[in-house]
Amino acid sequence: MEAHDQVTALSGRDAYRSELTELARHDPRVLCFEADLGGRKHPFAQEHPDRFFNLGIAEATMIDMAAGLASAGYRPFVSTFAPFATLRAAESMKLSMGYLGAGVVVVAPYAGVSGAWFGTTHHCLEDLAVVQSFPGITIAAPYGEQETRAVVRAAAAGSGPFYVRTGRNAAAVSLPGSDEPAGVNWAAPGSSEVCLVSVGEVGTALALEAHAQRPELGHAHLCFVDHASLTAAAEELRSSRYSRFVVVEEHRPTGGVASTLALLMPAVEVVGVNAGMAWPSEGGDHGEVLGQLGLDLAHVLAAV
Amino acid sequence: MTGTLEGASLEVLRDRATRARRLVVDMAAQPTGCHLGGSLSVLDILVAAFDRADADDGTEVVLSKGHAAAALYAALYVSGRLAENPAPLYGLAGHHYTGHPSPAVPGVRFPTGSLGHGVPYAAGWAMAQRLSGGSGLGIAVTGDGELQEGLVWEACQVAAARRLGNLVVVVDRNGGQNDGLVADISPLPDLDARFAAFGFEVSEVDGHDLGALRSALGGAVGDRPRAVIAHTVKGKGVPPVEGKPGAHYVTIDATRAAKWKRMIR
Repeated sequence: MEAHDQVTALSGRDAYRSELTELARHDPRVLCFEADLGGRKHPFAQEHPDRFFNLGIAEATMIDMAAGLASAGYRPFVSTFAPFATLRAAESMKLSMGYLGAGVVVVAPYAGVSGAWFGTTHHCLEDLAVVQSFPGITIAAPYGEQETRAVVRAAAAGSGPFYVRTGRNAAAVSLPGSDEPAGVNWAAPGSSEVCLVSVGEVGTALALEAHAQRPELGHAHLCFVDHASLTAAAEELRSSRYSRFVVVEEHRPTGGVASTLALLMPAVEVVGVNAGMAWPSEGGDHGEVLGQLGLDLAHVLAAV
Repeated sequence: MTGTLEGASLEVLRDRATRARRLVVDMAAQPTGCHLGGSLSVLDILVAAFDRADADDGTEVVLSKGHAAAALYAALYVSGRLAENPAPLYGLAGHHYTGHPSPAVPGVRFPTGSLGHGVPYAAGWAMAQRLSGGSGLGIAVTGDGELQEGLVWEACQVAAARRLGNLVVVVDRNGGQNDGLVADISPLPDLDARFAAFGFEVSEVDGHDLGALRSALGGAVGDRPRAVIAHTVKGKGVPPVEGKPGAHYVTIDATRAAKWKRMIR
């Protein structure tokens, strides 16, 4: 994966902070909330201190309060690590964002096992399953700086609830076409019947590596992975020339993108390469923890 | 009286409360029954809170103890915020008057019933008022059993830290909860001191004294959120259930409902 990292690119969470800071210059509705995991030199806090709020370690309260603010016309962006947003504050996401449909944007770094040696409590291989089951929330899993910025712009321009998952510090240049990340991004054509489907930072990086070794494989990248977006994407994938799709995602098999696509495309073969059902409990860097879970290039190549 | 903080006369408020109590009894006579005891205990609080919101200054009332939905629908109706009488429709298919309220009901902004969420909703609303220069309040009406939920205190912590002086948490202190008495299950001694320790201004009132409730919801807004501990009686106003913990959820027939409604003064 490191081969695709670029020193000139920002990580997903830094791209979010930078883009939102710029957007807030022209949109007074935009507010920025953190639950004590935003760092001491948050650019939004420095440029818009009157609209930046570190509410402390209070994730459910943050999302519910953001719903109150959204109901009054503001566009609050709230950020905390993925496990805390989608599991500790799951009911707030369900009721405030799903059921009520409040225009709250949750940006969640540390998705998957990007927390690496931080350990099991800081991993989140379940967020897509949880949030996908709440109707009405747009879910984005962008890859790289440009796509993350585009997602933040789309979320700010919209009025409904968004969930945006990012990793930790991995930085990448997005795929071509990522400035408008709707639908399927056909990243690379292939000559075989097999198409890689990449989701998120790790899934996309692995798909790029696999395609570099096996250029006959197609590569379709998905940024928006909520059920409505996947329903539309499945229509496009199904009408393509491919008959076998290998979905690569940093998530458990249950409730992930592969499982949803398999239900949406029963007439074609959908295979998942994912983080499996084991608990990540060892140390190491991000790639090493992924390797412990069987989410690496070897497993992708074996699946195709 | 819209547009002022004076609100309706106490006579008008008492009449609203009486009519609303009868509607709540009607809802207990629906096939589903309703959370009667806690609806009757919180009713005067809601009547006073909606009267405060009639000032039209951006004040929002959030019933955090959403199981008292019958009281909420009744109070909305007698306060002129709901056009149709909700009682004959309560709990029925094809209508949104469910046992816990949803924003599908006119006058209801937030879904409540899973306890604790109403406090941060009201806090967010209060924060929005402050950011936009408004003078409205965020009023959360909680149960006392509800205070066993951690989310309530998480939100109180944040509200005090943000100095949300326009947040008012009104506690319907009826002493009961689903399985019995709060005092027996998980008591809340020194409740005033608990709120005070969180940085709230605390007052205690008779939760069935509409004049006292009005005073508690009025007054100047400072930089400390307010807690109003409203001492109430479960089943208030209906002698057969008044003060009885077992009246938490009640289903009655139409004959009994008619008899109970005649007792309400």
